[in-house]
Parts: sequence; C-alpha cells; structure tokens
Amino acid sequence: MPALVGFLWLISYWLIGEVVIHFTGLPISSGVVGMLLLSITLAFHGRVPGSIAAAAQPLIALLAMLIMPGVVGVFFIVDELAGQWPAILCALVLGTLLSVATTLWLLKRLMGKQHAR
Amino acid sequence: MPANSLLNTLNATPLFAVGLTLTAFLLGNLVFKRLKKPTWLPAILIAALLLAATLAVIGLPYERYRDDARWLTILLGPATVALGMPLYQQLPHIRALWRPLTVCLPIAASLAACYAVMIAWLLGSSPLILASIAAKSVTAPIAIGITEQIGGSVALLLGALLVTGVATAAFTGIAARLLQIEDDRIIGFALGLNGHAIGTVRAFEISPAAGAFASLGMSLTGIFTALLLPLAWHLIGVGS
Repeated sequence: MPALVGFLWLISYWLIGEVVIHFTGLPISSGVVGMLLLSITLAFHGRVPGSIAAAAQPLIALLAMLIMPGVVGVFFIVDELAGQWPAILCALVLGTLLSVATTLWLLKRLMGKQHAR
Repeated sequence: MPANSLLNTLNATPLFAVGLTLTAFLLGNLVFKRLKKPTWLPAILIAALLLAATLAVIGLPYERYRDDARWLTILLGPATVALGMPLYQQLPHIRALWRPLTVCLPIAASLAACYAVMIAWLLGSSPLILASIAAKSVTAPIAIGITEQIGGSVALLLGALLVTGVATAAFTGIAARLLQIEDDRIIGFALGLNGHAIGTVRAFEISPAAGAFASLGMSLTGIFTALLLPLAWHLIGVGS
C-alpha cells in the first residue's frame, strides 16, 4: 500500500494548492504550489519517504501519456488557425534558436567567472 | 448501421477513450524504439498522430474523446506535484552553483518566452496565439496550468512544446560547438531550460551530468515561469 499512501499525499498537496490559490488569488496553478510545498517538505525531512517515491516515480514516467489527449487536439485546430502557421512556426523555431544561443553564451560567461575566482 | 451502433456501444463508457489512449501511447513507444529513437520524431508525436488518425477513421469527435479521456488527464494534477521529488533531489546542484544559476535563470527563462512572443507579435499573430506559445519552454504539466491562467489554447501550446523541444535538441549541440562550449553541465542546463522534457531526454543521451543539469534547468524554468509569466501577462495586458 505504500504507493497508495504516497498518492494520497500528492493529492493532498494538490488540494492544499487549491486552497492556497483560493485564499491568495495568486495566478499560479495548484499543481505548481503543491510541487513547491512538496519539495520544501522533503528538504525539511531530509530524504524522500518510500511512499512518496513509490507514487511519484510511476506518475512522472507516465507524464507523456497524461498529456497525450491534449497533444492530439493540435491536429484538430489546424484548420482553425489556417494562414497563421508560418508565423507560429517561425516564432517557435527562430525564438528557440535565439534563446538556446543566449543561454549557452550567458552561462559560459557566468561559470567562467566563477571558476576564475 | 451496425458499425455505427458498435461505436456507440463502445463509446458509452469513458474506458474506450482511455483504452485508445493507452494503445496509442504503447504503440508510439514501440514504433519509436523500432526507428532507433530519432530526435526529430519524439515518441509522443508518433502516438498522437496514431491517435488522431484513429479518431478520424472511426468518426469519434475530438471533444467527446477529450471529455472521456479526462479520467486519465485528471492525474496531471498529482503528477505535477510529484515533480517536487526530482526538484528536491536537485538541491545539491543548486547549492553548488547558486551564483551563476540565480543570474542566468531569470534572464534565460524570460528570454525563452519573450523571443518567441516578440517574433510572433511582429509577424501579426493574434493575442490567443501569443498566450498559447508563451510557455513554450516549460515542461508540459506546468505549461498547461500557465496557459489556462493566461487564456491560451492548450492544444496549440502542446504543439508548440513539441516544436520547441525538437528544435532545442537539434540546435543545442551545434550552438555549443560554435560557442566552443565543452562543459556538459552548461549544455545540459541549456537543453533543459529551453527544451523541457524533450531536451532533458537528449541531455541524458550526452552524459549523466548533462542530464542532471537538464532536469535542474527544466524544473527551475517551470517554477520561474509559472510564478512570473501569468503576473507579467496581466500587468502588461498582452491578452486584452
């Protein structure tokens, strides 16, 4: 039953996230709040309890499957966005090229400085 | 028609949509392995193509499928929370390199969103498209939450994630060579920060150190973007 106990923890953290958002009105998703609370709890605890690992590992491994129903949706909006695709693809590919180059260059400069110190 | 009534019978339960999703996912992984794991064609894209083709052939409307598949997608909530575990396991890396990372992360993660949004805006894209591609470098479960917050289309976002992930995996090696970078930690961090899960998978192929830094880059970008993008969006009023 450890996986079930861990799963209950994950659901509880998600629900806590919902409550936090309800009272603070923060524009964040409850999953992110739950994720941060979980990692803070683990940092205080100093290790990952077996139950959490037993529930978290299979769920993370299945993430690709869980987003699949959404991914399929992109094939059904192809017509809806007709004529917009060249701009979208250009923004994505060119934007990614620029941001990859920026990240590499920036981190090289920053880590170089640290090593020199 | 008998074929039609058969479909209606199967359709009466959400288990049909769940079964279709599992079948496509497993088949997609199988084909991906048979093709020797091409970087340009992730397993999830193969699976999604199979599933979309199946829905079209059997005549099941997408909205109907998506509603039934909610039995699966509801798990995205606890799965996002589960990402807190690998995040905790990355803490030693964060402590060791906190100085360069605290400077690099906000700049690089903001630019990952800004470049694409700016280019799309210059090319005259609608506010809906801008909101849908803004979270393009964020790992899917977190990106879906962000996109819902800022009013984008989740379907378009997921397409944007695929394109971004594949482009990152393809460009990073070439860009690193041009910039004469050989440190696997830098290459890994860039892969995870820009290319989320797809970039992270690529990084693990390079070396375990690259993989660890890719996971770190992916987690930190996810958190940073989730905390600040919706706020920035409302302040700038891009969507309105």
